[in-house]
Amino acid sequence: MIRTTIGAAALALAAALPMQQAAAQANPRNTLQILRALDSDNYDPPRSTARAASEVLYMMSDTLVSLDWDMATVRPGLAERWSVSEDGKTYTFHLRRDVTFCDGKPFTARDVVFTINRWLDPATRSPVRWRAGPVKEIRAVDDYTVEYELTAPYGELLYQLSLSFASIVDQATVERLGPNFGVQGFNGTGPYCWVSWTPRQDMVLQRHPRYNWGPPIYQNPAPQVDRVVWRLIPESQTRIAALQTGQGDITQYIPHIAVQQLRRMPNIRMSTQESYFWDYFIGFKVDKPVVSDPVIRRAINLGVNRPALVQATFFGAATPMRGYLNPNVSGYDSAASELVPQFNADEARRVLDAGGWVAGSDGVRVKDGQRATFVVYGSQGEANRQMLESMQADLRRIGIEMRIQLWDGTVVWGRLATQEFDAFIMSYPYVTASDAFSLYFASQNRPTPNRMNWVDATTDEALVQSRTAVDPAVRAEAIARAQRIIAENNVWLPLAHEQLWVASAQRVEGVRAHGIYGAALYKGLDIRLTR
Amino acid sequence: MSAATDTTDQPVAPPRPGLLSRLLRDPGAAISLVMVILLIGAAVFAPWLAPTDPYDNDLTKAMQPPGSEGLPLGADAQGRDLITRLLFGLRVSLSMGFAAVAIGGSIGAVLGFLAAFYQRWLDGPIMRLMDMLLSFPAILVGLAIAAIFGPGLVSVVIALSVATVPLMARIVRGSALVVMRLDFIEAARATGMTDGRLIFRHLAPNCLSAIFVFVTLRFGQVILLGSALSFLGLGAQPPIPELGAMASEGRNFLFFAPHIAVVPCAVIFLIVLAFNVLGDALRDALDPRLRF
Repeated sequence: MIRTTIGAAALALAAALPMQQAAAQANPRNTLQILRALDSDNYDPPRSTARAASEVLYMMSDTLVSLDWDMATVRPGLAERWSVSEDGKTYTFHLRRDVTFCDGKPFTARDVVFTINRWLDPATRSPVRWRAGPVKEIRAVDDYTVEYELTAPYGELLYQLSLSFASIVDQATVERLGPNFGVQGFNGTGPYCWVSWTPRQDMVLQRHPRYNWGPPIYQNPAPQVDRVVWRLIPESQTRIAALQTGQGDITQYIPHIAVQQLRRMPNIRMSTQESYFWDYFIGFKVDKPVVSDPVIRRAINLGVNRPALVQATFFGAATPMRGYLNPNVSGYDSAASELVPQFNADEARRVLDAGGWVAGSDGVRVKDGQRATFVVYGSQGEANRQMLESMQADLRRIGIEMRIQLWDGTVVWGRLATQEFDAFIMSYPYVTASDAFSLYFASQNRPTPNRMNWVDATTDEALVQSRTAVDPAVRAEAIARAQRIIAENNVWLPLAHEQLWVASAQRVEGVRAHGIYGAALYKGLDIRLTR
Repeated sequence: MSAATDTTDQPVAPPRPGLLSRLLRDPGAAISLVMVILLIGAAVFAPWLAPTDPYDNDLTKAMQPPGSEGLPLGADAQGRDLITRLLFGLRVSLSMGFAAVAIGGSIGAVLGFLAAFYQRWLDGPIMRLMDMLLSFPAILVGLAIAAIFGPGLVSVVIALSVATVPLMARIVRGSALVVMRLDFIEAARATGMTDGRLIFRHLAPNCLSAIFVFVTLRFGQVILLGSALSFLGLGAQPPIPELGAMASEGRNFLFFAPHIAVVPCAVIFLIVLAFNVLGDALRDALDPRLRF
């Protein structure tokens, strides 16, 4: 109670201090100031996997299909309708005829063919090329019909085509800018058009005047705001203060500890999304000493008090994970979640004793001269550190030593591609169960993203079937099988489902958190400013 | 030596007060000396003084404000007693400082003596090398070393040592050059003393006061730099308590639980202040021109 009062007072103080300054530089009319924490290195759809790129790309361009708020229903986008052949290998998209690019050029089937082929082209070096599926050929049947032919059925295709990586771009602009496409300029069919980008400062977009082909999930098919500025404020406390003082309008980058406080603030609106799939987990390298022992992995799953750890880290802004996936995601198998051990420190000790791990002189267990110790890598960040420190203390109580090594954002990805660690902490967005599991547990995805080095023919077979079977029931059964194998083997320690919260200032209306690939605002079509 | 030879050897002068009493004449110095002793004592006896285990968390007590039951300074984000964390953090920070000053200082002193003693051949190369090292900011050196060896206390100690070497080399060379010009060095050389003996018996002892002052002042700076590196996440890795890392952890909760960041920062402030005041006072006390 005291803490709450102090917190509220501190927030109020922070809000009051720069008030005069804010009044002097009040936001321009009809310019939406979006605050965020990170920038991307480029805004070329197939070349960046950063959420910071996706969130802007959704506004600058469109995809063939769009995704509804439930994260499961595929809705029309640039394609007003589509059909799938009997064998599941050919998708025919019928395109809208009223669409133009930002430069006024009409949009046709040729642009779709160019975009997808560019995504697949090895020269583009897209890190997410696999998302396009096993493509045989992309054909423009006429100006407004595209055939997407696959060598094998790919049940994920429509979901993948709704992601920002499949954003349709203009061939002439791509060729004119070459490698600087998405760096010096952009040309898409989205509700907002590229004006300027100052890396690590701001990205300015202006309204696409002809745009009225927004996805049907919005009440307005056209944008309501003249200008959008994506402004970078890396320091979280400053970002929140800027929002409260009216120097910014909206942000999804809220420090976890501030979520509950902001919900109580009268001048801030908060929006959340139930179907948001962004999870934190720890993966174990199953071929490294100590963590290769299933007993150790089971004991770790039993020994970590997930609910307490998640509460202490996220302050209610995340949910402890029961299983490996969010129960709202399509393809989720509840029986697999039942197999994931829940916190029980006594049981963890029993499992270790039975497995031959006996307490050593320093409290750390030993088996055959091997100490129960392992190294976990991760990127520096408040949530990672908090969770790992709590986990470290929990594991210490059952006689397992976990050493933490957190790396700076510039080197962490290189380090995570090596074999020098035993476990790693990570968070990731996903669209479906099959999407998430194919990414992490397919043997061909070693060394990354399958950093666990999980090689299992049965898992591989189930994953292939979950993507390629024509019968949805077979696909569902296959992905359930994969989930059970992974859960039984405790390849991960699932930690937390992060919640998506969007905070907006009083003058902003029509905000609804979406969260596709982590992007809260998606196309932002209903957002309008009252003054 | 007998008292008789003493009186005949030296000019008649009033008995000089000892270093300690000269030092304690300055109230600021006296306070800082007491503070330094207390801080070092707290660090050394941390395991006996600390009320709880520094690594054992209790999430139900997370972020308890100062003055809560059983937690006079409150608890950190993991629900660990801040007093315990501070005592052990002091230990880590001070040993980090001692290690860096000892390693960097020794290397720097040796290089400084060599440069001054073999002025003709070694002075140029050694001092240009030191100039090169001086041109890198310590934080940058720390970043580079952490990128190579991985973040950790060892990396911080290496970075701080590297940053201390050129400073120490310059100080030592400067005072050694002054001493080298004095007659007794010539006299010792005339007796056929070896170079090594000359350096250790005659040169080094006469530069000690400069070294002593520098080490004290540098210690405060090194603690501050080390805390800065840890604050950036390059130093102590969890769960090791280190004052800079503790401040960094608390920074995220500044609005909600300010004590987590403020308390370690206050301790860093005290350490740096105490060592700086003490170093200043030592310089005054050791300066022959200020003696009477």
